[in-house]
Amino acid sequence: MRTPLLIVVVLALLTGVPPFLGLGLQNTFINVLIACLFALAFNLLVGQAGLLSFGHAAYYGVGAFTTLHLMQAVEHGFAFPTPLLPLAGAAAGLVVGVVAGFFATIRSGVYFALVTLAIAELLHSLAPHWQGVFGGEAGLSSMRMPWAGFTFGSTLQVYYLTLAWVALSIWVLWAYTRTPFGRLTLALRDNEQRVRFLGYDAHATKVIVFAISATFSGIAGALQAIANETANYSLFSAHVSAQVVLQTFVGGSTVFFGPALGAAVFTVFADQISDLTRSWQLYQGEIFVLVVLFAPTGIGGIVEHHLRHWRQLDWSRLAAPYALGGFGGALVAAAAVFLTETLSVLFGEPYALMRKKAGDGYPSFDLFGIHWAPTNPVTWSVPLVLFLAGVFLLLRARREIAALWDAIRSAPASQTADDEVDASLQSTQHSPV
Amino acid sequence: MEFAIVSALNGVIYGLLLFMVSAGLTLIFGMMGVLNFAHASFYMLGAYAAYAVSSRVNFWVGLLIAPLVVGVVGMLVERFLLRRVHAFGHAHQLLLTFGLALIFEELIKLFFGDFPVNYRMPENLRFAAFTVFGTDYPFYRMFIGAVAVIMFIALYVLLARTRIGIVVRAAERLPNMAEALGHDVPLVFTSVFGAGAALAGLAGAVAGAFFPTNPNMALDMAIIVFVVVVVGGLGSLKGSLVASVMIGLFSSFAVGIDWSLATLCDLVGLGAWARSVGGLLTMTISSISGTIPFLLMLIVLLVRPAGLMGERN
Amino acid sequence: MSMPLHSLQLIDVTKSFDSTIVIRGVNLEILTGERHAVIGPNGAGKSTLFNLVSGMFPPSSGEIRLRGRSITGLPPHRINRGGLARSFQITNIFHRMSVFENLRVGVMARHRERYGLFRPVARMHRINDETREILALVRLDGRADHMAGDLTYSEQRALEIGMTLTTGADVILLDEPTAGMSREETARAVELIRDVTKGKTLLIVEHDMSVVFSLCDRVSVLVYGQILATDTPERISANREVQQAYLGEEAAL
Repeated sequence: MRTPLLIVVVLALLTGVPPFLGLGLQNTFINVLIACLFALAFNLLVGQAGLLSFGHAAYYGVGAFTTLHLMQAVEHGFAFPTPLLPLAGAAAGLVVGVVAGFFATIRSGVYFALVTLAIAELLHSLAPHWQGVFGGEAGLSSMRMPWAGFTFGSTLQVYYLTLAWVALSIWVLWAYTRTPFGRLTLALRDNEQRVRFLGYDAHATKVIVFAISATFSGIAGALQAIANETANYSLFSAHVSAQVVLQTFVGGSTVFFGPALGAAVFTVFADQISDLTRSWQLYQGEIFVLVVLFAPTGIGGIVEHHLRHWRQLDWSRLAAPYALGGFGGALVAAAAVFLTETLSVLFGEPYALMRKKAGDGYPSFDLFGIHWAPTNPVTWSVPLVLFLAGVFLLLRARREIAALWDAIRSAPASQTADDEVDASLQSTQHSPV
Repeated sequence: MEFAIVSALNGVIYGLLLFMVSAGLTLIFGMMGVLNFAHASFYMLGAYAAYAVSSRVNFWVGLLIAPLVVGVVGMLVERFLLRRVHAFGHAHQLLLTFGLALIFEELIKLFFGDFPVNYRMPENLRFAAFTVFGTDYPFYRMFIGAVAVIMFIALYVLLARTRIGIVVRAAERLPNMAEALGHDVPLVFTSVFGAGAALAGLAGAVAGAFFPTNPNMALDMAIIVFVVVVVGGLGSLKGSLVASVMIGLFSSFAVGIDWSLATLCDLVGLGAWARSVGGLLTMTISSISGTIPFLLMLIVLLVRPAGLMGERN
Repeated sequence: MSMPLHSLQLIDVTKSFDSTIVIRGVNLEILTGERHAVIGPNGAGKSTLFNLVSGMFPPSSGEIRLRGRSITGLPPHRINRGGLARSFQITNIFHRMSVFENLRVGVMARHRERYGLFRPVARMHRINDETREILALVRLDGRADHMAGDLTYSEQRALEIGMTLTTGADVILLDEPTAGMSREETARAVELIRDVTKGKTLLIVEHDMSVVFSLCDRVSVLVYGQILATDTPERISANREVQQAYLGEEAAL
């Protein structure tokens, strides 16, 4: 009951707000939507079927290139409606997904992951040399052609096109989880052996899941090609595959919308933070590792956990330790950022030049608007103090929070409202991949 | 002829280098069931550690210290990070090591910059071992190969002939039993992980002075090493050796071969047609030499999914 | 269409793992509609026999026939579609799905909804009704929405049997279904098994002779990978050779 309302609100915001935003933000929104679709398509394989793929960039990239070829054809007169361009990406993702999936799912677990990585790298190493299909090192470029009165020249129009396709795709992926095959996918992840003995050809099933995941990844790639009007072999890089893995797990792979959440957060993070510091990818990696270590169900999993026990949450008692923990976490993060940025300055090129000018001494530097001296112990005690204080607060908060949750878990959960939440938010049950 | 000999030598040596790195990976997997995505990062760390030490002290000290440093890092990673996620399952271990690989790469960039560093072999090693048909063959390549061979022999003797080796092998087969017999199995695991890391670090320290040392070297090496273990069979040292040398030879020869499918068509008189079609038909083997390992992997998967030497569980 | 006399036949079946021979030439014929037990000391190869018949791995030599058609070396899903289903000695359910869904997976397969992608399963009434029937049959209706991993041990064993039934097979293999159960639970399980296998062919591995006596028409004794004797439960327990080889301590039954 609550969730459809939430979805309507989100859709309304996504439709109504962008015309009032600047071009930069509109572009960010487009990137966020594409990343969300890619992550959800990825999670079909990972969170639902339990197949961890490290080379999903392959299907994303193939979708992009195929769409670009179609765009070039349209540019030269081939009559094809521009809004339907992503179909090319879907088709390419499907075909390549079937072939790749066939090979990859011959093995499982770790081998599967390695094979998917190798398939993406195969394309990554091949593309720069294949002028005809991938445009060699420079890649392919084209232009969006007008159709039915729309020029598709403005970012806003591209945004609405992207929104329509992403919303439709997400709806289809959601509907998938309700079909017999969708339930079979979950069973496959839970206990593949039993699925075989119940009369299912496990390999064929896995190939189909892989193909569907690749199809929607191809649509995401197509949308990127349409938005950027260009594509090159870097779309196959391990970096692209890595990003979708990070986003999915930080967002939470056990909840349907988790990956979308992670994609949105990380895309905005990358967008905003990359202007502020060179170490933003380090921060991303650290956040990811922290999530894997301490919050394996991701942000989405934590949110879902709270919603499931909503009736039993006594916020008057939880608020204080949560705030304490949040503050402690912020202090630790501040310490990490301070240390990283300081080291970044000290080991950077400009500082090396400064040192030469100062006769190989250790001159002061500017950071966060303050002047620091590397030889002054105060400079190093700042992150140390922040870190220790933060850890102390975190440990205090953790004890209290754990005690409160133990009390909640031992009390019986109320059924009705929580079941609704269950049904509408989840596609899978509890444990992480 | 000259090409054949030089390529064969290069291929075998590159293969031995691959083996140095993949041996640790396959050992750790065979023993602990963990595929360490960050294994190639240890390779990179070894190269950079050796660079840092050798630029302040001396190349040989760097070669000595780098594997030790990397080994310690490996032990810390296993003891404090991997063990935490062990309970969550294999996928989480994979994800953790994946995240670590990213972090290591970024940390290297933080301290050493985005561009290659000038880690070079000392002058007194920069001579020709012998000449092949007029071309000098660098001694340092032989040095790399020699280190790999010595390492392999040492590893074999250690595992097969010493008491430590027996304990390690027992812990691999039946960890619970080994623990029941009084051996500190968690310590064994930590040590093996550290040893595997140190091996990769040594490989990096040695190879980094010859090949470029840059933040990308972990990713490049990782992918090839993963192909090696898929082809050779995870957990099989012999399989790794065979697959490493195979891939080393393939890559080495491929780089110098300018044939393409069009060349094949020449044999039946369709050469001109093939060249007019272009695209896939005119792609030379040398230009796709980087792609060949992956094709090899796919073929092996189709024909013999368990890898050349079979696999453990 | 006439029913064949034998639902299941094993002809000179052997199985070795590397150099260890586990099954040394087994000949067994299960009559259609009979309830047949396989008993034997631990390590005799009973589970291996089940694994061979259900397709977990192929025999090293020999032939296995289901209703006269060879199923030797076929993968498990083909054998299942041919009408044979098995349960597992160690509970092999979908821990992270509800009891209802656990059963529904098998029912979907029977209705050929294996690749059903275009309609929500909630609207497939025949499938859902049939799932509810089996749920009632194994007396788990009260636990339909609970996660299978949260069930008690004997509830999980009941679910295990239920899942074996969902695919509509008429040759059912049950691998030690009453393992680890108390006497009351065992008696209930026997009733359940008798109910659900009416009109079907049952092959059951059992250690508990009381179960064998109350349930089965014939018994085969497997010792060191070979069938020592096949006969009615009374005659088997009176058989001197069997007593020596196996029933030694339990002869007073």
